[in-house]
Amino acid sequence: MFIGAVEIGTSKINVLVGEYTGRELAIIGRGECSSRGVIKGTVVDYKAASECTHSALEHAERDAGERIEAVYLAQTGGHLEGFYNEASVNVKASDNMIDGADIRTVCDLAKSKELPSGRMVVHNIRRPFRVDGRLVPGSPEHLVGQKLDVGYWTVHGQEQRLADNIHVIRGFNLEVRELVLASLASGHMVTTAEERQHGILAIDIGAGTTDFALYRDGAAHVTGVLPVGGTHLTNDLSIGLRLTEGQAEKLKLRFGRANVVTRDKNQKVWLDGNFAIGDRQFSQHAIEQITSARTWELLEVVKKKLGNAFSPETCSAGVVLTGGTAKLGGIADTAAKIFGVPAHLGETPSWVSENLRDPGYHTALGLLYYGVSAAAERASASRRSSGFLSNVKRLFANA
Amino acid sequence: MTRDSVNLPNARTWREIPQPVVPRAMSREGQWRLLMAAVRIAAASVIGGGALWAGWLVFAAVRENVRVMPAAARATPLRAPELRTDGVLDGAWLARTLALPAKTTLLELDLQKLRTRLLAEQQVATATLTKNFPDRLVVTISERNPVARVMTQMLGQKRALLVARDGVIYVGEGYDRATLETLPWLDGVKIVPAGGGFRPIAGMEQAAELLSKARLEAEHLYSTWGVISLARLATDRKLEVRTKDGRVLVYFTTNDDFFRQLAKLDYIADALGSRDPAASAVIDLSLGQDVPVMVTPAPAEEPAASGPRRVARLSSASTTRDEHAAMAFRPDLPADGDRPASHPTLFVPPHPQFSQPNREL
Repeated sequence: MFIGAVEIGTSKINVLVGEYTGRELAIIGRGECSSRGVIKGTVVDYKAASECTHSALEHAERDAGERIEAVYLAQTGGHLEGFYNEASVNVKASDNMIDGADIRTVCDLAKSKELPSGRMVVHNIRRPFRVDGRLVPGSPEHLVGQKLDVGYWTVHGQEQRLADNIHVIRGFNLEVRELVLASLASGHMVTTAEERQHGILAIDIGAGTTDFALYRDGAAHVTGVLPVGGTHLTNDLSIGLRLTEGQAEKLKLRFGRANVVTRDKNQKVWLDGNFAIGDRQFSQHAIEQITSARTWELLEVVKKKLGNAFSPETCSAGVVLTGGTAKLGGIADTAAKIFGVPAHLGETPSWVSENLRDPGYHTALGLLYYGVSAAAERASASRRSSGFLSNVKRLFANA
Repeated sequence: MTRDSVNLPNARTWREIPQPVVPRAMSREGQWRLLMAAVRIAAASVIGGGALWAGWLVFAAVRENVRVMPAAARATPLRAPELRTDGVLDGAWLARTLALPAKTTLLELDLQKLRTRLLAEQQVATATLTKNFPDRLVVTISERNPVARVMTQMLGQKRALLVARDGVIYVGEGYDRATLETLPWLDGVKIVPAGGGFRPIAGMEQAAELLSKARLEAEHLYSTWGVISLARLATDRKLEVRTKDGRVLVYFTTNDDFFRQLAKLDYIADALGSRDPAASAVIDLSLGQDVPVMVTPAPAEEPAASGPRRVARLSSASTTRDEHAAMAFRPDLPADGDRPASHPTLFVPPHPQFSQPNREL
């Protein structure tokens, strides 16, 4: 089965083609295209966005030499929001042994929350079960207890924005098999299971948005999206230094930092460095000050958004940064200062080939990884629930 | 507590967003992919259909070609075919008709050919042949039943054949001779040779209906019938029936119920028989309520060739309208012998009530 992972970003569109054999996943193709018609992760010009997405898909198919059958699509954007809802049930059995029906009931109750009109659920992320207040990392089935609790972090988005993204893919005559939150995709890619168990905050700073996911007890605890990204740094430079966006982007990539390390305010850097007409000098200190101020503010907002969910004690694995803007120098130090925990840049797993090790591919890689894992988990759950014994049990339960 | 028992609100998920294929919203690449997908589906359908058809051809060839059959399947010789029939044909006839070679096997039989051979015998209306492995052939047939006899002439030779309800003319085999003697002869029909036999007779169904009704409801009348003629069926919708002794000629019409006509005939026959059993009569039942009956006294009683003819009219209306009929009811009506021979005598028997047919006929 050939699966495509599509990330429709603000600055570029990434497509990876994976061959999934049911056991392992091999990445066999890649397509990339500069993004148009997308602002802050949201499609604002359907035609332009479709053209470049389809172009990237076509490149990826050509590179893979195979036709994509379905797509896992990354979802981001400022319209995404999340809330936490939990439920508890008293265990039915007289011997207090938890069975499948108890688990299903408590899960259904925890997920049952009405959304405002025009909003749709993107993800229901389950937090670990608790039996009589005791944390259970796995399934609580067959454990003994009187009360079973579970909570869900529900991510929801605006229906039209979600539909726009899906229709862009459908316009290429492809079906969207999974819609995956970009923060979860990239977070799964740059964190290990151990780190997620200890607690880690994954921040993916893209061009238009910043996606973050806080992991605790092995699962995503809180997720969020800020409609602020690398383009804001460029914009700040453009305004502060009176440059065009292109020139500001160039300066950001070459001299931008998330902290100020240049002490000499007179230290100058050239815009182009080729001594051509129009080439100008700028204070490096000023550049660093502008970019670091915005980065600092961005990370502060992330911390504020997390609120009580984040504390250095429950996030012992620290902060991991990824995304195109995470290439900004000194960003890990800044993050460490703000969050009060160790911070580092996300590293691509060793099994990923050299040409896909750029942080910009983390989301697309994570899409394939997360999408395939989720699909496999769902398939095995449906196999379990449709087994002969399950059907017989259900028959008696309904009687 | 389950989802059914606690009415939980259901939040809509992104999976409920429809993913329709709208060609106008597609890019050129998307439309090309859509076209290619349609072509692939069409090609797959054609290939699949072709494979099925080829498979059927191979299967048919294997089924027909006994040479490729395994030797073990051809080892068991066929037992005598079993006949299941609703008529009079027997196993000897079946063996003669099928003419199967000795030591043939079930797999070697061509059922279509054998069926054609059976249906060539006009006495067989339908035939079904079933192979019961390993060595039995079951033949189930339905036979035609004769309703009349017809005399044919071919190559200067006269030959009596049987006619079935559907007009098919056939030789007939296995019937009881006495039963065949009771069948009336068919007259007034054109017998056209076709192939090795004759074309079916048109209009035979109506004649067969009359004969079967008469046989069932008025056996004593039917047993006297010698000839049934279809000569005036096409033109006047009339069937002519003549008794075996030739004295009585009856016209039936296909426009009216045969049962009513038979009831009238029975009544008239009774009336005639009580007055002059040896008289000849022509009875026309085709005119509805009016039944003209022309009676000719027996020659022995009336030696003169131009003897008196008596005509009776059976009609309820005639009792009031017809002057002669009114005369017939006069108590002082003289006996037939007292009337001048040159004047016909009219007599009107009381009108029979047909609204409730006498089932004892």
